Amino acid sequence: MRLILGVFLAMLVLATLFFGQEPGRFTVWIAEQQRGFQNQMAGAVQALKSGQSGAYATLFLATGLYGFVHALGPGHGKYLVGGVGLGTRIATARLLAVAVASSLLQSVFAILLVYGAFSVISASAAQVTGFAEDVLTPASFIAIAGVGGLLIWRGIKAVWSGARHDHGHDHCGHSHGPTPDQVAQISSLRDAVVLSVSIALRPCTGAIFLLIIAWQMDLHWAGAWAVIVMGLGTAGLTGLVAVSSVAARRMVSASTLLDVGRGKAGGALQMMAGLLIVGFSLTLLRTLY
Amino acid sequence: MHAGIMAVATSIIRARVLTFCAVLLGSAFGASAHPHVFVDGGVSFRFRDGAVLESLLVTWRYDAFETLYILSSHGISLNDAGGLDEADRLELVRQRSDWPEDFDGSAHLVHGDQPIALEWPRGLDAHLVNGRLEVTFERLLSTPLEMRGQAAELGFYESTYFFAFTITDTPEVLGPETGCAAQVIGFDADEDDTELQAALAKLGREETPDIKNVGALFADRIILSCD
Repeated sequence: MRLILGVFLAMLVLATLFFGQEPGRFTVWIAEQQRGFQNQMAGAVQALKSGQSGAYATLFLATGLYGFVHALGPGHGKYLVGGVGLGTRIATARLLAVAVASSLLQSVFAILLVYGAFSVISASAAQVTGFAEDVLTPASFIAIAGVGGLLIWRGIKAVWSGARHDHGHDHCGHSHGPTPDQVAQISSLRDAVVLSVSIALRPCTGAIFLLIIAWQMDLHWAGAWAVIVMGLGTAGLTGLVAVSSVAARRMVSASTLLDVGRGKAGGALQMMAGLLIVGFSLTLLRTLY
Repeated sequence: MHAGIMAVATSIIRARVLTFCAVLLGSAFGASAHPHVFVDGGVSFRFRDGAVLESLLVTWRYDAFETLYILSSHGISLNDAGGLDEADRLELVRQRSDWPEDFDGSAHLVHGDQPIALEWPRGLDAHLVNGRLEVTFERLLSTPLEMRGQAAELGFYESTYFFAFTITDTPEVLGPETGCAAQVIGFDADEDDTELQAALAKLGREETPDIKNVGALFADRIILSCD
């Protein structure tokens, strides 16, 4: 796990060195990569259309890489996953599962949305993209902000109950409500589902465009599988963030003799993570209006 | 004392975690990537009576992905050879000839300090060239311009920068003995431009930059000069 954190940090350092002189170049670079992969997808779609079944490999490679690079961009829940990994006592495996599940769910959701809209209500391409951008995008930002709010609320409860437990020492041997540890955890299946859905709610524009093209070009299955592969690419990056953030939290805990994520300190950290998540979701939401 | 050191150490490490958070969150603002559509092409100049500039011939070539999306949004599919059937091509020409109200033309001609008024596009044609949709059309100058001994500048851009235009075709000077020459001045990004482009890259498809005429800042240009 520390190895993965190391790889992740090394990537960050390399990116900083490479783009450090002009940080804007990184954003421009991401945009250029996405463009390149999109055009490879288009080439593969045209090849498939003219009967070259070998083009599947190109299509899946391009969509997988597109998913990974696109996940460096906004709204893919990577900041939610990272915030939760740093700020709560969630286990690596569970957060990794959330990262992968949310990415795949996002793909499945995009497929249902586009193919459903075309086959059931005969929507136009403009209606589908409009719905995704005008309704689902803000809905996802609000949902993610909601999860951030939940973290803040639990953090406050943890700090509050931590303060009470510090004084009480609980002599009588029965529990006075949840302990800070219990409160500071995101552990239930329900939490994991809420996390995944809030991330998955916003389909990525690239996936929607590809599905619209695949539907129109009568390549339904190729389009659906390609978008699943795109989700795996996204999961690759989000998973990296998940593992790295939990590892980072554990290293901080170990080096400070302070179990971050536990007790009052944990509550405070959780509040901080929650505030950051809410702040960034609302900033993203504001850019829409 | 020891507790004090611990508190300082903890706060330093907290700060590091926060920095890490910030880096992580910072990259949340990546690339939904304004501009959204990339168009290669160029502009040629049609003269009459020697050096009287009459119209601009504009070529747009969409990238392969945008091409497929445009076809799909018009309800048109590629044929089994990966090309366009003639009936579909004509349908595409018909639909694309209906220009949106807010179209600003991509060709912006300036003579002296004055923008030169252009008529609405006419004579649109569309073809699929190597998997890319190529659209050509003509724009007449509202008043033909005598260019003898004069120079004019043409910017190839769309003002909101939703479309990023690049001049890839050599501009032609059309007409007998015009005495005119056209030279491309490519956009050369400096650091500020890159930062601004990065800022713009955060905008989604439905958003319009606050900066008026931002597309002009990144435009390739053509200098047209006549003897």
